[in-house]
Amino acid sequence: MRTYETIFIIRPQIAGDEYTALLGKYKQILADQSAEILRCQEWGTKRLPYIVKKQDQGTFVLINFIAGNTVVKEFERRLRLDDAIMQFQTVLLEHGLDLNAPEAAAKTVEDDLDDDDSEQDEEQD
Amino acid sequence: MGFDKTGGARRRFGRRKGCRFCADSEIKIDYKDVRTLKYFVSERGKIVPRRISGNCAIHQRKITEAIKRARNIALISFTSKRTIE
Repeated sequence: MRTYETIFIIRPQIAGDEYTALLGKYKQILADQSAEILRCQEWGTKRLPYIVKKQDQGTFVLINFIAGNTVVKEFERRLRLDDAIMQFQTVLLEHGLDLNAPEAAAKTVEDDLDDDDSEQDEEQD
Repeated sequence: MGFDKTGGARRRFGRRKGCRFCADSEIKIDYKDVRTLKYFVSERGKIVPRRISGNCAIHQRKITEAIKRARNIALISFTSKRTIE
């Protein structure tokens, strides 16, 4: 039983109760397979730096859970089947998860999208 | 053709200080922490080489892996240009 961290992007059109239903479904899938959900963060809808599945926005959701590898395989299979999920990525946390870690500053993705290219020095590739 | 290694490097960084992660901060390298990773990505969206970023080998590898994971999950762009059709 190891600690995994899955982050996935949901289509921006899915909102409100449909979104909560979808989230509940996935939490239920994990719960059914006796996985212990440590944390579920929802970062909300963001602009993506590149087009994913013809969308340039997406809703990010991060789930940390403790489970066996068969559970992860099944969970990812379900994520792959669902077309509401545009992209997902699962990472194994070797050192487990310390919940009181300082909050990851990933939420400020906006500020890097409109970063001013004030420095005009073009690199020579 | 000058071979002075120091002069030719891009002016963008010019950081010759030691590895940021070894010395001062026990900050964790995390693919979700875009703010820290952005510091090691050039304007073109390319990963800054170790000789310029001044990182040690261990942390440079961790940074590279984190940047690639962030790119995969659309937190960081592969190229810096915003492709909006």
